Amino acid sequence: MIWQQLQSIAGSYPLALRGLGMTVVLSLISLVLGTLLGFGLGILRTGGNRLISSAIGGWVDLIRGTPFLVQIFLIFFILPELGIELDAFTAGIIALTNLAACFICEIVVAGIRSVPTGQVEAALASGLSRWQRMRQVVLPQAMRIVLPPLVGQYVLLIKDSSVVSAIGLTDLTRVGWLVVQRVPNGLLVFFLVGVGYFIVCYPLIMLARRLEQRMGAAHGEVQL
Amino acid sequence: MTNLSSKNGAGMIEFRGVNKWFGQLNVLKDITLSVEPREVVVVCGPSGSGKSTLIRCINGLETIRDGDLTVDGQRLGDPATNMTRLRTEIGFVFQSFNLYPHKTALENVTLAPIHVRKIPRTEAEKAGRELLAKVGLADKVDAYPAQLSGGQQQRVAIARCLGMRPKIMLFDEPTSALDPEMISEVLDVMVAVAEEGMTMMVVTHEMGFARKVAQRVVFMDAGAIVESGTPDEFFSNPKTDRSRAFLSKILRH
Repeated sequence: MIWQQLQSIAGSYPLALRGLGMTVVLSLISLVLGTLLGFGLGILRTGGNRLISSAIGGWVDLIRGTPFLVQIFLIFFILPELGIELDAFTAGIIALTNLAACFICEIVVAGIRSVPTGQVEAALASGLSRWQRMRQVVLPQAMRIVLPPLVGQYVLLIKDSSVVSAIGLTDLTRVGWLVVQRVPNGLLVFFLVGVGYFIVCYPLIMLARRLEQRMGAAHGEVQL
Repeated sequence: MTNLSSKNGAGMIEFRGVNKWFGQLNVLKDITLSVEPREVVVVCGPSGSGKSTLIRCINGLETIRDGDLTVDGQRLGDPATNMTRLRTEIGFVFQSFNLYPHKTALENVTLAPIHVRKIPRTEAEKAGRELLAKVGLADKVDAYPAQLSGGQQQRVAIARCLGMRPKIMLFDEPTSALDPEMISEVLDVMVAVAEEGMTMMVVTHEMGFARKVAQRVVFMDAGAIVESGTPDEFFSNPKTDRSRAFLSKILRH
């Protein structure tokens, strides 16, 4: 019986590949956008403007303090009520990008704050502009603190992307739901779904571990 | 020398009635002081007397509450004064060096010339190598700060300032964080800079340095300038009890 089920599951490999592809594409786009946005928010949050800083802080707390499923529902079902029509893919990208940006913002802020004041003063004293100080002096040093948790966060976000199946996107998790209707062996099907996620995440877990070890180096910019 | 403020306002650095508070604490009390071009002024005084705060005000690392502070003809706090630009004319050497740990000695020296002065990289690197050679570190061009001793790091920090060709150099206790055997190598570089005619304000207790190159010693206590005079006057004939007490402590060993 298990042999038949395996055959049946094997028969749905095009669907599984599509699901895996969707998970990877969705995660990749959201992580790239979320990283850019997260760094931007983190830099603004540590900038001088108190209003901008507390607005970002409030938003980050709100997103961190609510379930991702609820955020996705709000974006997918409530925004159309307000006249903003979104397809599921766009809604998924927006929700996941926003989530990524908020978590990454916090990581970036912690990194920036770990750079000693003397470094900023030295950069200030030599006449570097705000952006030059950030780009040349603060960020390269902050990256040592930022990189390991950043990559760790990517792993969490790839797993969080499974929530988009709730709004009908055919990602890896939803493929599991579809297949299990034909092959009534949930344990086997979702074991394989889990394997799919693990294959995507494991290289990142290894990378995070490697980065953490390299942070011990005495000097120099972080090299991947 | 008793006339601290110059009449025509030609001083490179001009404090007029400057006050500053940290909360309730009056850290700078009614400071009036003028530093002429090419003059070397040593600022000394007990810990917490406001010496560091005084020179940190000059490049805007601290802001003043009231009074006038004019640097190179530009009034600080004036909206017309471009602080970032003014800072390029003022070198600042920190007690704790503050070299960029992720950049080599040469990169530390060339960073601001390349990005602020917009000097072409090859040209900036040539000038940077010359400066590092001048402070005796020609062989450490590619070393990272963590690979250098304290004295070497501070010499790189001085070269980093000189790379901007500043009009003024400020030193905030440049040798206080150094092991004793490294102090002279840094002081030698500072003497050389002074002898080239740099306008300098140096917070230090190195009285040998003061005697050698300073035109004036300013003694501060509790946020105020208590006494000011030539090094000879100040060391051989201090006028106030407080400066006598201070000198007896630092000259005892």
